Amino acid sequence: MSRRVYLDHNASTPVHPEVVAAMLPYFGEVYGNPSSVHAFGREAREALDVAREQLATFLRVRPDEVVFLSGGTEADNFSVKGLALARDRGHVITSRIEHHAVLRSCQWLESRGYDVTYVPVDASGMVDPDDVRRAIRPDTIAVTIMHANSEVGTIQPIADIGAITRERGVALHVDAVQTFGKLPIDVHGWGIDVLSCSSHKIYGPKGVAAAWVRKGTKMVATQHGGEHERRRRAGTENVPGIVGFGKAIAIRGRDMAEEGVRVTALRDRLWRGLQDRVPEVRLNGHPVHRLPGTANVAFRNVESESIVLGLDLRGIGVSAGSACTSGSVEPSYVLVAMGVPLDWAMGAVRHSLGRTTTAEDIDYVLDCTEPLVRKLREASPVSVG
Amino acid sequence: MRYSATLLEHFMRPRNAGLMQHPDAVGEGEYDGCGDLARFFLRVREGCASEVRFQTYGCGPTIAAASAASELACGRAVDALARLEAGEIEAALDGLPEDRKHAADVVADAVRAAARDYLKRRPHDV
Repeated sequence: MSRRVYLDHNASTPVHPEVVAAMLPYFGEVYGNPSSVHAFGREAREALDVAREQLATFLRVRPDEVVFLSGGTEADNFSVKGLALARDRGHVITSRIEHHAVLRSCQWLESRGYDVTYVPVDASGMVDPDDVRRAIRPDTIAVTIMHANSEVGTIQPIADIGAITRERGVALHVDAVQTFGKLPIDVHGWGIDVLSCSSHKIYGPKGVAAAWVRKGTKMVATQHGGEHERRRRAGTENVPGIVGFGKAIAIRGRDMAEEGVRVTALRDRLWRGLQDRVPEVRLNGHPVHRLPGTANVAFRNVESESIVLGLDLRGIGVSAGSACTSGSVEPSYVLVAMGVPLDWAMGAVRHSLGRTTTAEDIDYVLDCTEPLVRKLREASPVSVG
Repeated sequence: MRYSATLLEHFMRPRNAGLMQHPDAVGEGEYDGCGDLARFFLRVREGCASEVRFQTYGCGPTIAAASAASELACGRAVDALARLEAGEIEAALDGLPEDRKHAADVVADAVRAAARDYLKRRPHDV
């Protein structure tokens, strides 16, 4: 096995070489604590300021509204809990297909006496803004809806939801971990108040993320200690990581549009090829309003883990829609919420493409997938056709 | 890699996979927690399994376990197959991770069920 094809960019991405180069001085040459007043600290502070400016420029927001954090999960916890805990009690609205960082934050809020409404999605994974409108109550504190789902890639109608939350005076948090740096985001036009984004999904380092918080939004800090990040998040900033994140954002600003077109074409090449060559396949997610690089494909009556393993042995990295853990298989909660039948949901495989994916990679994946699925079906007692 | 080279080899090139026409016995094993399913077919000559085939639906280790079990079972007395232990299948795969032990269980169930199916019919065959 020599060829390796990575189609799991929604899980993480390789750090861009320009990002690595930008980070390197901050492991050795510049090492001060950005909170220190001396020159060593000021050098580190300046690096943070540059990264903050890079993020603010990209989102067209004020730099002092940016809070650097340790990852997408912290960004979602910071946002959802920070908004809710600003009031003693109340109501939060989210969807059934949010990332666990949001869902479990909401469940934690429920355990503390808050009410949460989980709005459904349609068969394509789309939230109906009218469901959000109907769920809003006088005590609703916040609505938290992801911009795009990591498993199926469906892009939510954030502008329509934002029009509703703005009209009703409810804060809107958007988990944009999967879209930040991949799709245009208009926080002002869409009525967003808080936005989560992460570095390692856009060719930056792991362990770095940010929340943008519109000035005037009522939030409380959930991590306490020093006066970092304008008292919104205690803890010495990860300077090399944040420098890398800033550089990654700048690169996305330069490359995002062109790359989006190229990756979308490859994604569609993959789906067309699978349709042509493999019987009984279906695309999970919205056919049009979907992340450029995401193709979640279900192979009916085949267990997705066996496909993931078979492709792994041919050097291909994809991810399974279901997970067999300790002898019990859980179909993806996202696919279940979309109403995908079990015999399809158990065979769902997510392919997520990225900046280094080539047409040859896609053709290799197609060449490997067809015989693998055929072989698995031939040996299956529940096979189709 | 969390799976042994032997397991991966069986998964990539499963032996004796597929349907058997007119078998002498058929048995199934199912793992409720996981939905994994194995079906074994036996052709029996002079009390021994002369040909073994299987079908499985499940994760990679289950497919590999079925392949390994089909090799173990071939040539063995049906009486002995009715007592086949999951541990023997696991050993033939050079081990299974803790959360995949059920792969050997579901396959052992299917082999034993096929053997019992044959033993139940035997008085009518002779």
